[in-house]
Amino acid sequence: MKKLALLFLSCFIGGFASAGPSAEEILAASDAIRNPGRPFSVTVTLTEFQGGKQVDTSTLVSYSRTQQVGGQFASLIRFVLPARDAGKLMLKNGNDLWFYDPASKASVRISPQQRLLGQASNGDVATVNFAKDYNVKLLAEEEIKDGHGKLRRARKLGLTAAAADVTYASIEMWVDAGNSQPIMARFYAESARLLKTAYYRHYQQQLGVERPTETVIIDGLNPQSVTLMRFTDYTARVVPETWLQRDYLPRFQPE
Amino acid sequence: MACMSRSTWRLLLIVVFMQGLAMSIARAQVLAQAAGFDPLALESAPVQKIESQSNLKMFVEGAIGTSNRRYQLGDADLRRASFDFNYSGRIGQGLRFVFSDRVDNIRPTSPGRDSTINSLREAYLSWQSDSGSDIVDIGRINLRYGPGYGYNPTDFFRDGSLRAVTTANPFALRENRLGTVVLRGQHLWTGGSLSVAYSPKLAKRPSSDGWSLDFGSTNNRDRGLVALGTQLSESVSTQLLAYKEQGLSPKVGASITALLSNAAVAHAEWSRGSEPDLLKHTLLLPESKSTRNRFAGGLTYTTVGKLSLTAEYQYNGFGLDKSAWAALAANAVNQVNYLLQAQRLQDQVPRHAFLVYATQKDVGIKNLDLTAFLRVNLVDQSRLAWVELRHHWPNFDLAFQLQQNIGRSTSEYGILPDRRVIQLLGSYYF
Repeated sequence: MKKLALLFLSCFIGGFASAGPSAEEILAASDAIRNPGRPFSVTVTLTEFQGGKQVDTSTLVSYSRTQQVGGQFASLIRFVLPARDAGKLMLKNGNDLWFYDPASKASVRISPQQRLLGQASNGDVATVNFAKDYNVKLLAEEEIKDGHGKLRRARKLGLTAAAADVTYASIEMWVDAGNSQPIMARFYAESARLLKTAYYRHYQQQLGVERPTETVIIDGLNPQSVTLMRFTDYTARVVPETWLQRDYLPRFQPE
Repeated sequence: MACMSRSTWRLLLIVVFMQGLAMSIARAQVLAQAAGFDPLALESAPVQKIESQSNLKMFVEGAIGTSNRRYQLGDADLRRASFDFNYSGRIGQGLRFVFSDRVDNIRPTSPGRDSTINSLREAYLSWQSDSGSDIVDIGRINLRYGPGYGYNPTDFFRDGSLRAVTTANPFALRENRLGTVVLRGQHLWTGGSLSVAYSPKLAKRPSSDGWSLDFGSTNNRDRGLVALGTQLSESVSTQLLAYKEQGLSPKVGASITALLSNAAVAHAEWSRGSEPDLLKHTLLLPESKSTRNRFAGGLTYTTVGKLSLTAEYQYNGFGLDKSAWAALAANAVNQVNYLLQAQRLQDQVPRHAFLVYATQKDVGIKNLDLTAFLRVNLVDQSRLAWVELRHHWPNFDLAFQLQQNIGRSTSEYGILPDRRVIQLLGSYYF
């Protein structure tokens, strides 16, 4: 009789648990909100602050598509402003990172630690599907303040790197409990040091979905260092896979 | 080697000092700003409208400086004014036009040269299929190959391509070079490409006329190149090259770059071919051809504090070894002629050389960048040390440069008239 009761209880709990989406499904849904499901371009305006004072600004255009092998995004990023950097390109295809300067005609392989964009890391401006690179667990459901200071019911996800070569060892991510919109994330190094905190905000209709059009990135070591990334002009594009390699960089012509 | 170590340590000390200074100032800034603010109350800079159909980049640059000279020549004032123009735009379906030109007015003027020198770097038409996988170009194109920082054995079109030498920095030098008139076809596929280029002979000899298109420097013989680029994995890519020029047997070359870790990148390039001996050619002695190798290989490491350090070993089988260099040093005129010829060909003078190259972003204050390098001739132990501090504003750069040529009077860098060059540069970007 006791065994029968336990069996009933476990079936009940199991049934309850399977009623909601899995952690993987929540993360994939959150990825799909941040990133369009087809090749696209988006203009990224980076504004850097130190202690609340604006110290730098730059403008880029990012062309992205998912790769046929692996399904992760690859991005070609064109520097537009400031004027001295106009025309320079960065290619990010996983950890395959290249910087191209049209003045010297040099395509230089760079490491993920080499930064081209001030405080923002190269990975911050490139499009990334976290579900492809991280194992995920549902940790809790709680109320948090979003990027506008508003309380929201959120699911807290714990992400751990599925491979050694991804940018962050682990991530804590809060997504809206109702619609899986990403609200906030904390990114950690292997040493468990907080590298950065990101708030996803200013949701607007872009390419058919409500997407965050601004990310606030707060440096983990120096919270006085803040970068705002503004995303505008989402446009569906043809981005052939042949564009996303070193030998195409000298050929790239903006559309 | 002891001298090399001292110079290397000096350079490293400067870089480490700058990084320490950067961290101290950054810490001080954090303490000073401890009053706090709400990061979520910050607002983005206004979004700029983008003209996406063309790339136009223009800047003017002025430099003033002084050169401390050897041979009791006294100090010399240096002046330079430059205008740099780059345009790339669509002119039809799949068709684009690229134009790149630079004018330098340099004082004092080099012997036999005009004070104003125009360098038409590129002017070509490029057709591309809708998928971007087939491309045909015609015109003057800067064909540059090789991942090396200070020496590029696979950069087969480098000789004679510099009309005006405005810096010792190997990266900046590449920005000023002339392209070669070529017809080029390229096919790209996922993870690779194959390109074929033919460069015809258009003129016999270089021109010293400042406004000449100078086809005699870049197209003084028929040449051809086939290049195959491949991506072996996410972290390894290669390039194989075959090159042929009029009157010489074919040369082959290869290069590789590899990501070793989150912070380290390795590169190597090699070429092999049969050539006349540069020394005999310079001294008008009976020429003989020999088959030898050229090589450059290095490692770049980037710290969390944005310091990138590259160390590169360079080998030129056609360069002079210790005994040949010592024999040449017996006649200063021959030695200078040899150095000038090597400079024109952009080839490495000694058999063995070494380069340390460092860049540090945001040295102490935001937008202040440090670039420093040390070239070491491992045959005669002479060195060239170069340091630049550059501050960026939205449209303006201000840079301070210091160059020191170190070595015995018969060495590669010790024989140069300039012992020390100090320059202040301002660049305005339109």
